[in-house]
Amino acid sequence: MFAFIVRRLLFLPVVIFVLSVLIVALLQFLTPEQRAAAYIRSDNQARNLPLIIKQYGLDQPFYVQYWNWVKQAAQGNLGFSKSSNKPVWDTIKERFPSTVELALYSLIPLIGFGVWLGTLAGLNKNKFIDQFARVFAVVTGNIPTFVMGIILLVVFYGLLGIAPGPGQLSPESQINQMINPVPRVTGMLSIDALLAGNWPIFWDVIRHLILPVITLTTVLNAGLIMVTRGSMIEALSQDYVRTAKAKGLSERAVNLKHARRNALLPVATIAGFQVAGLLGGAVITETIFGWPGIGSWGADAAARFDVPGILGFALLIGVITVVMNLVVDIMYAAIDPRVRFD
Amino acid sequence: MKKAILTGLLAVSLGSALAVVPNNTHVIMQSADIVSLDPTMIYDTSSGALGENIYETLVKYKGKSVSELEPMLATEWKVSPDGKVYTFTLRKGVKFHSGNEMTCADAEYSLRRNLVVNNSDSGNWFLSEALLGTPSNANDDNNITWAKIAKAVACNNQGQLVLTLPAPDPAMLVKLAFIGQAIVDKKWAISLGEWDGTEKTWKEWVGKDLTDSALSNKPSGTGAYQLVRKDASTYVFKAFDNYWGGKPKIENVILQIVKEQAARLEALKKGDADIVETGPRPVLAQLQGAPGLKVYDGIPNNTATAIFMQENIKDPAVLGSGKLDGNGIPANFFSDVNLRKAFAYSFDYDRYIKEVLQGKGTKRTMLLPDSFFGYDPNVKQYSYDPQLATAFFKKAWGGQVWQNGFVLKASYRAGSVAAQTAMEILKANVEKLNPKFKVELQPKQWSEFLKNAQQGKEPMIIVGWAPDYADPDNFLYTFYSSNGYYYPRSGYKDSIMDSLLEQARKTTDRAKRKALYSQVGNRAYETAPYINVPAGVGFVVYRDNIKGLEENYNIMLSGGYYWKDISK
Repeated sequence: MFAFIVRRLLFLPVVIFVLSVLIVALLQFLTPEQRAAAYIRSDNQARNLPLIIKQYGLDQPFYVQYWNWVKQAAQGNLGFSKSSNKPVWDTIKERFPSTVELALYSLIPLIGFGVWLGTLAGLNKNKFIDQFARVFAVVTGNIPTFVMGIILLVVFYGLLGIAPGPGQLSPESQINQMINPVPRVTGMLSIDALLAGNWPIFWDVIRHLILPVITLTTVLNAGLIMVTRGSMIEALSQDYVRTAKAKGLSERAVNLKHARRNALLPVATIAGFQVAGLLGGAVITETIFGWPGIGSWGADAAARFDVPGILGFALLIGVITVVMNLVVDIMYAAIDPRVRFD
Repeated sequence: MKKAILTGLLAVSLGSALAVVPNNTHVIMQSADIVSLDPTMIYDTSSGALGENIYETLVKYKGKSVSELEPMLATEWKVSPDGKVYTFTLRKGVKFHSGNEMTCADAEYSLRRNLVVNNSDSGNWFLSEALLGTPSNANDDNNITWAKIAKAVACNNQGQLVLTLPAPDPAMLVKLAFIGQAIVDKKWAISLGEWDGTEKTWKEWVGKDLTDSALSNKPSGTGAYQLVRKDASTYVFKAFDNYWGGKPKIENVILQIVKEQAARLEALKKGDADIVETGPRPVLAQLQGAPGLKVYDGIPNNTATAIFMQENIKDPAVLGSGKLDGNGIPANFFSDVNLRKAFAYSFDYDRYIKEVLQGKGTKRTMLLPDSFFGYDPNVKQYSYDPQLATAFFKKAWGGQVWQNGFVLKASYRAGSVAAQTAMEILKANVEKLNPKFKVELQPKQWSEFLKNAQQGKEPMIIVGWAPDYADPDNFLYTFYSSNGYYYPRSGYKDSIMDSLLEQARKTTDRAKRKALYSQVGNRAYETAPYINVPAGVGFVVYRDNIKGLEENYNIMLSGGYYWKDISK
């Protein structure tokens, strides 16, 4: 297994190389003026367009620009992101923990609820709960994230006033943070507050997480529910389930230990991709709820043709995807002992 | 147990329902990111709005005025009779946030640093133009030497700051009111690793991008507020105890970056924010009458927008047949003043005010904000008049335009509803006059639009200008001079106009200067180089417990008001 992990991790530099060449090459289809747009924020600044192109070498050939980036990257410098106004690496360090935080809190309800409802639906094929699960999945799976997010925000924050507004902290907590700051350890504010024993800040962050987490859980659940349901139905019709039942095992033991365990294989794949997606930044959810994660930065970088920003963001997603694939493979082996790593 | 958890969650959530901004705190929400808190790089309004409260300039705009200045870090100043030497007496007993005392060395360092760095993303080009005679930095202009920089900005033996200009610049003082020319803490900056202020190292800093400089991350100014904490989406400030003007009433200021407009509006309505970036005027309907909110409407507009008519189109691809045969236009189509006048009479200014500006807008006589010095309301202006438009179309190009018609390509920035509507109004009115007239509208991405326009490749565009500093030269020279920034976009060259503008930018006598700008306005009316698009008025919506915002609102401030001037 160790050799397998090492082999898969050795694949990472190849992914990074291919991705970076691809992105830099694709960006060459834009004119230097278009790429210089990242540096300009007003008509007045546009007066310096030619100077900006010259200063940042935006008119140099593809290989020169790529080589310059590689030279910098080799020294640990991924360049300067004009959309975050910080070096790319500093932006990732600053924002990625918040994205991980949102992903972590979303993961438990997302997978827990999806697998639970999918299992129930599979076990009760064509009964009320199954019909409900299918309608629920179709409806929530087809509501765009921005619609769901805004509806939740307007109803639960605006109209009912039972959820907090956008951002990570309320004004009082911001002032508390000023007087008694929570030391940055993990970069995930709720975890850092917990480590520092600062309960007011911890609760405030948790409160601010409620609506984004509900948004993500609701919107992303559909796939998990349907895949779990389908896999359960398929597993229940297998010979080994019949054999288990014939052996006189309890229905609960058959359903959970025999049927569901096998049914979870495709679920693990879907869940793995969803985790990778969440770690890559829930772009719309982060934007609507003012969550300072990586997704809103990635979207901004793309909209502004911020080349170092786009490169840094894409490489991070690439690494996350490779690592999550590896995690899914390892989970396969844990779920299904027939899977081996050779 | 389930019930207990639910009740607990509800209780946790309900806590927030009662949360409103405390009386000693001011919460602002906006969508735009902060680019930099290093004055040498501040050129955008978001950064400027914070910078104005952290740092201070030598002079500032007086109250709501955009033409009168008053002392800030300079208590008084003298200008030599030839208009080339400015001597500033600096305020005593002013402390930086670091605890260092402000001296002339700080002022000298700050302005020299701006001249040395003069990064292409910054607004230092106009300081350099005034003090060194060129907008470029030393990498792009070999004539810039250390000796010139040191001579232009220096302290005298009395601890006064002396600025020596190569030629008189009547806009010198307003240029110094721009937040980019704020005074920074020299000792603090050097201790953070910024430029050491010496001749030995100055070349290493020329053109450097200091957006994320150490000073930007740890600013120390003389302003009423100091930065305490910042993360990816929040900036927290507290009132500076040793502020020379007395400690402000608002103790804490929180700036939150919230990209989603609906979220910002809800926060404003709930009282979790005191003031937010609301978005365009139609949003106002959602907020008007909401309890706890106040609307400050009718804020003068400090931008100018025009429809350009390029007199020397440099791209054959947009000319169609390239002839006046009804299938295209010649490259010099707009060089005929009759044609430009015909277009100016074809634009329905009142309809634009009604449809785009929701009735809240004014026509302008010249491409200069009406609140600025030099604006002359008595200059004649065009109005929508199909009969006069027809008459001028018939006169244009010896009658060929009317007889053969044309196909004209007009562009606007994709996504700009106002620009699109303006162009659609013009197109409809022009095409109505003669079935042989065709105007094809083309939305374009901003960067492509800028590039093409700057290269003179766009026959007709709509573009605005926002002031760098409150001086008529910043607008009128930009639009009307053949040496101005917009010349490549318009191709408009008029020797009388050029001469008037050159005289005006060197004239320090205000009355004479004002008269010259009236002549500029009249000449613009006669030669019709642009269609002056009416200007809308601005508005802000804020919580009604805030006092002092409207009384102190100044359109030349990036944030509109100093936080120190408000209370609850």
